Amino acid sequence: MIDLSNVTKRFGPRLALDAFSLSVPERSIYGLLGHNGAGKSTAIGILLGQVWPTAGDVRVCGFDVTCDRRHALAQVGAIFEAPAFYDYLSGRRNLEILAGYTAAVSPKRIAEVIEWVGLTGRENSAVKTYSHGMRARLALAQAMLPNPKLLILDEPGDGLDPEGIHEMRATVVRFNRELGLTILFSSHLLTEVEQICTDIAVLHSGRKVFNGRVADTKNSRRLVRLRVGNFDSASKDLREKGLITGVVNGDSVELADKVDTPEVVKRLVEIGLPVFEVTPVRQTLEEFYLELMNAGRAAKN
Amino acid sequence: MLYLQLRGELWKLFGKKRTYIGFTIILLTQLIVTVWFKYSRASPTMARILEGNGYLAEQFLSGLTVATVMLVPIAYVLLPLYVALIGGDLVAKEVEDGTLRMILSRPISRVRLLLVKWLAGSVFAVLLVAALAGFGAVFGHLFFGIGGLFVFIPGELFSVFSASEGWQHYAVSNTFLTVKAISIMSAAFMFSCFNVKPAAATILALSFFFVNAVLQEIPYFREYQHFFFTHHLNLWQLMFGQPIPWWKVGQSLSVLVGFNVSFLVIGCAVFHARDIKS
Repeated sequence: MIDLSNVTKRFGPRLALDAFSLSVPERSIYGLLGHNGAGKSTAIGILLGQVWPTAGDVRVCGFDVTCDRRHALAQVGAIFEAPAFYDYLSGRRNLEILAGYTAAVSPKRIAEVIEWVGLTGRENSAVKTYSHGMRARLALAQAMLPNPKLLILDEPGDGLDPEGIHEMRATVVRFNRELGLTILFSSHLLTEVEQICTDIAVLHSGRKVFNGRVADTKNSRRLVRLRVGNFDSASKDLREKGLITGVVNGDSVELADKVDTPEVVKRLVEIGLPVFEVTPVRQTLEEFYLELMNAGRAAKN
Repeated sequence: MLYLQLRGELWKLFGKKRTYIGFTIILLTQLIVTVWFKYSRASPTMARILEGNGYLAEQFLSGLTVATVMLVPIAYVLLPLYVALIGGDLVAKEVEDGTLRMILSRPISRVRLLLVKWLAGSVFAVLLVAALAGFGAVFGHLFFGIGGLFVFIPGELFSVFSASEGWQHYAVSNTFLTVKAISIMSAAFMFSCFNVKPAAATILALSFFFVNAVLQEIPYFREYQHFFFTHHLNLWQLMFGQPIPWWKVGQSLSVLVGFNVSFLVIGCAVFHARDIKS
């Protein structure tokens, strides 16, 4: 659905994206993560033909955005952080205006979308009277109007209250499951990404530092929490025997390749240490992300 | 699709209160000028000029004459201001408000978007001139009634027409005034396509206009006046000539078409090359 190939973007001397490649398969929910200024919004701008790449190929729905945006964006909906509307006009009028840039949309379809996002009854009020949550729903409505196959969401939860974030998350999942939409989702909220995304790409200072399935991030390090009689001597022995590669947080160990928990327990019993608890630890996306960021910072330094 | 897009641009334009500032100020100015004319010593002064040239003042001290008297200064000062204000807003305001990102996530080309916006700006310019002509004619006739047309621009023009001829000249002159309005709007529109604030686009366009006007007014530059934008913007005044110098009209019209095309092409080129970011 989306294919970025070696996309580079420079703003003057600043390198915003460095040979960024990304392939988003159909019907996936793809998370784009990174710190502020990592290049997420630049990548999204390039995908939507708003920012010109300095180098590389950008294909959306099979078409090159830079030279055939009419076809590339025909079935794309987008939502940005703090969505901007013509505040002095009604919600319905805003939808009519924005839809007009894609294709003629029937009043029935507009009413349908308004009902779908729960704005029925307020569609004729000026947008300036809308709450933040209502604006977010209007943004969703305008993105859904052209019957998109691909939704690009640039930090859509920004500024929403917890209820609004939950609602947005549920809606994104619903779009994916019920309508089969492919969703590219940029967010700072790692728990949100962890809950809804199937795949992620992580950017650090314009460079991609990870690309893979969310499930893989949880298994990237095999950690086991140990409560034993003497943790220091246990970890020293396990390391000498090549069963673990290191100690994490002072209470967990990282298993070596091809070593499983029973082997560790067996060794601890052999050396006569009392074992109170052995718990496999699943790494959270947040831990995984922070490790990547630290590694990225270290590499940069 | 073009109709839908133009309709959308017009909804946006005429949904804003600031769009009506020009209409309101022009209406109030014309009302004040007409009343002042009626109840001050301005009318006897005009009568003296007419009688001094051998004309019967009562025949030409009419609504049409007063409407034309008001037209000249408003077309020089107020009209450029309000069309530049709207032209400067057309692109830059959308960038500033963030709505342009919403538009550019849709499959419309940048050039087409600009053309639709320019068309909307031109519709505004035409309506503002129509309001200027209409309000002037209505107020003039309410206070002074029907009669011949007397046009006097010191150093440039002295013409008298019968009522029916006067109406024709007044209508044609206002038609050509739309060319002036559209041209200034186009200049502001071009600046609006640059990475500037809406106010800066308006000020740049007005500066371009006034610098041209200043240069044109310097007596030593008279022989170069056909190089000045403002010289050609005055083609609407030629419609009050006896006879109308059509070759001059054609010349100015061609130059203004050239200016407008240049403004559009430069605007499109600059806008096309820009990265639109939040």
